[in-house]
Amino acid sequence: MMDIKRVISTIEKNYITNNLKKGERIDGRGLWDYRPFCIKTDTISSAEGSADVTLGDTRIITGVKYDIGEPFPDLPNEGVCTIMAELLPLASPLFERGPPDEESIELARVVDRGIRHADCVQTQKLCIKEEKAVYILFVDMYVINHGGNMIDCGGVSALAALISSRIPKGEWVDEVPRWTGKYLNGKELINELPLAITFGKIDDIIFLDPSLPEELVSDGRITLSVTEKEITSIQKSGIATFTIEEIKMLGEKALEIAKNLREELNIWQYVKNST
Amino acid sequence: MENNEELEQEEEEQEQNDEFEDEETLREIVAPGEVLTDDTENYIPGRGAILNKKGDKIISVIIGLKQIKKNYINVIPLRGFYTPHIGDKIIGIVLDKNPVKYVCDINAKYSGILKIKNTVKRNPKIRMRGNSRESEIPEKLFIGDAIIGKVIAADRLNSPEITLAGKYLGKKMGGIIIQIDSQKVPRIIGRNGSMIKMLKNLTNCNIFVAQNGRIWLKGFDIEHERLLIEAIYKIENEAHTTGLTDRMEGFIKNEIERRGIK
Amino acid sequence: MTLLIQDEYPKKLLRDDGLRLDGRGLTDLRPIKMEVNVIKNADGSAYIEWGNNKIFASVYGPREVHPHHLAKPDKGILRVFYRMATYSVFERKRPAPGRREKEISMIISECLEPVLFLELYPGTSFEIFIEVIDADGGTRCASTTVAALALADAGIPMRSLVTSCAVGKVDGQLITDLSGIEDKAGDSDMPCAITWFNNEISLLQFDGKMNQEEMTKSLDMLKDALEKIYHMQLDALKSKYIQIQEGIQQ
Repeated sequence: MMDIKRVISTIEKNYITNNLKKGERIDGRGLWDYRPFCIKTDTISSAEGSADVTLGDTRIITGVKYDIGEPFPDLPNEGVCTIMAELLPLASPLFERGPPDEESIELARVVDRGIRHADCVQTQKLCIKEEKAVYILFVDMYVINHGGNMIDCGGVSALAALISSRIPKGEWVDEVPRWTGKYLNGKELINELPLAITFGKIDDIIFLDPSLPEELVSDGRITLSVTEKEITSIQKSGIATFTIEEIKMLGEKALEIAKNLREELNIWQYVKNST
Repeated sequence: MENNEELEQEEEEQEQNDEFEDEETLREIVAPGEVLTDDTENYIPGRGAILNKKGDKIISVIIGLKQIKKNYINVIPLRGFYTPHIGDKIIGIVLDKNPVKYVCDINAKYSGILKIKNTVKRNPKIRMRGNSRESEIPEKLFIGDAIIGKVIAADRLNSPEITLAGKYLGKKMGGIIIQIDSQKVPRIIGRNGSMIKMLKNLTNCNIFVAQNGRIWLKGFDIEHERLLIEAIYKIENEAHTTGLTDRMEGFIKNEIERRGIK
Repeated sequence: MTLLIQDEYPKKLLRDDGLRLDGRGLTDLRPIKMEVNVIKNADGSAYIEWGNNKIFASVYGPREVHPHHLAKPDKGILRVFYRMATYSVFERKRPAPGRREKEISMIISECLEPVLFLELYPGTSFEIFIEVIDADGGTRCASTTVAALALADAGIPMRSLVTSCAVGKVDGQLITDLSGIEDKAGDSDMPCAITWFNNEISLLQFDGKMNQEEMTKSLDMLKDALEKIYHMQLDALKSKYIQIQEGIQQ
């Protein structure tokens, strides 16, 4: 709703901060409310799996592609899942062209760590032949519009793309990988559903799901990736500092919010059949 | 409130024609390259229209509403960017400063230049004492400050120059600034300021609409401000329709009742 | 890359009943869906679904040029960045832009420049970002069409819209609007774009073989197809405004 500029006007900063102190947000949400999520899967025919997720104004389109390669020597029977993010200059005047910058790498890394440490992708099932051939999954997130909180949107987008994917199932015949005619689907690939929950902090007020104006004026944010019972990764970024009590509180809060969100989104409905 | 007084007077200055409400404006939407008329003998291309290469047709160059005024054919734009003109009141945000000038973002293709000498507020009370130095106090600005300025020089090649010297101009404190398409500014003001008066009366907010599409507003509480912002975006969205002022009045009254705002 | 399923093309691109593999007649277009103002942050934006092609375009400008030395003192510059998403093609594409993308960016930019009044905005740049998120033949045509729409949506003065489509030859028959398979396995492919203010061709590439007669005929087919797409473009541009008007009248 506001103008996006590198320099945020003092007026906006004060306005947002003062209203947050009263517990009011400019878009009318409560402090612990998400903007509405909207998930569409299977939008891209060239990709093995895809999801188009919007969170408020933020929109991220993710596609899954695969390749077959050799496994890492220390993990001979495990496939690889790499996550990449691209902040397209088309999405916001704040993004510049060129090789990935810190922001896009952070986005990819935080989503990646959330998924990796939750044992979300069953990498053992991504093996065709030990030491010879495993799947390499590429999960590429493309930001189409930047409306704040790309991490949570990206997390859901990556998860929905993986769950809705159909990857040709291979077998090892005559020293080469062959297609069995069947597919690996989301149910076989995915174990856990980690969700990234991001809180912003301005002064000493903490709130969920910062929108773009809030993100631009906030001191920093903290992202907690949580599965049903556990916290799997945390990323604090920006210059904000958090007290130990706050982090304890946020851990509880994140688990509770993630539980509701998981029910609301019902990501398992996007699984496709395997034949 | 000092601000209130200022803005009351501002209203009169902002009186201008609302092209969207003109009787000559047709409700027909035209796209770039579309033929407006074949009759080049009786009509002349006006704003947003050109003669085609052969000179036998008048075509539109923008997406907008067709308007026939006397023998001119105009297109009232529905979208577009802001081009500064001398005398425009604009809201800028200070991006950079150095000993001779401030650089302000004014939502145009170039940043606005605000020279230190143009930030001088001449205070007549102090001048009466005869102390010439004290009578000229430059307004101190910081990066991120929002200002209401006036364009004093603008051309195609150079950055426009703005000034803070003048009535109602200067640094703005409090409230919030929102951004709309600068082409819809006349619509927010309305014919003879009718729309803006109605918005002010119903929502009890102070509003300043700048030519560059930025709107400063401040109300008693966030409920009123939120409603006003919603209303402004609704006006922007429906700018090309007729009877907008009456419809907006109904909308705001309904919303006030529904949300239970005092 | 090693993939389990190979990207294979059939030998015959026309069915026995004379229709094309996807059931189209020789001069039929694929279904086209266009929408404007899809990216809120951009000054102007558009989205197109042309068969399986899905493309976003957004316009920023006029704004100051970065880097500064590219600015021209006598006119504005138009820069087009055509990019493809890694997952938009059968084999995953590398994320960095390749030679093909740079070439297409250039020809689209040259194709759109005649319709803009760049001389009115010296020292500034107009930037068009095109992102192909799903590709299935004819992306440069779809990109040109959608870029013109995004420019118009931004309210940038332009002489007219630009429309683009391809004609080509498969199995000895002339066809309009080649799909991915027809593009790769067909005999020839000719993407074209037209600027409507003077009805002239501003983008033209041709690969393959065609004799003079076929060339004449294919250009006539092209004209029909372009006209159809042009009307869809106009509809897409106006429909949002017209819908609001109609909604209020009711």
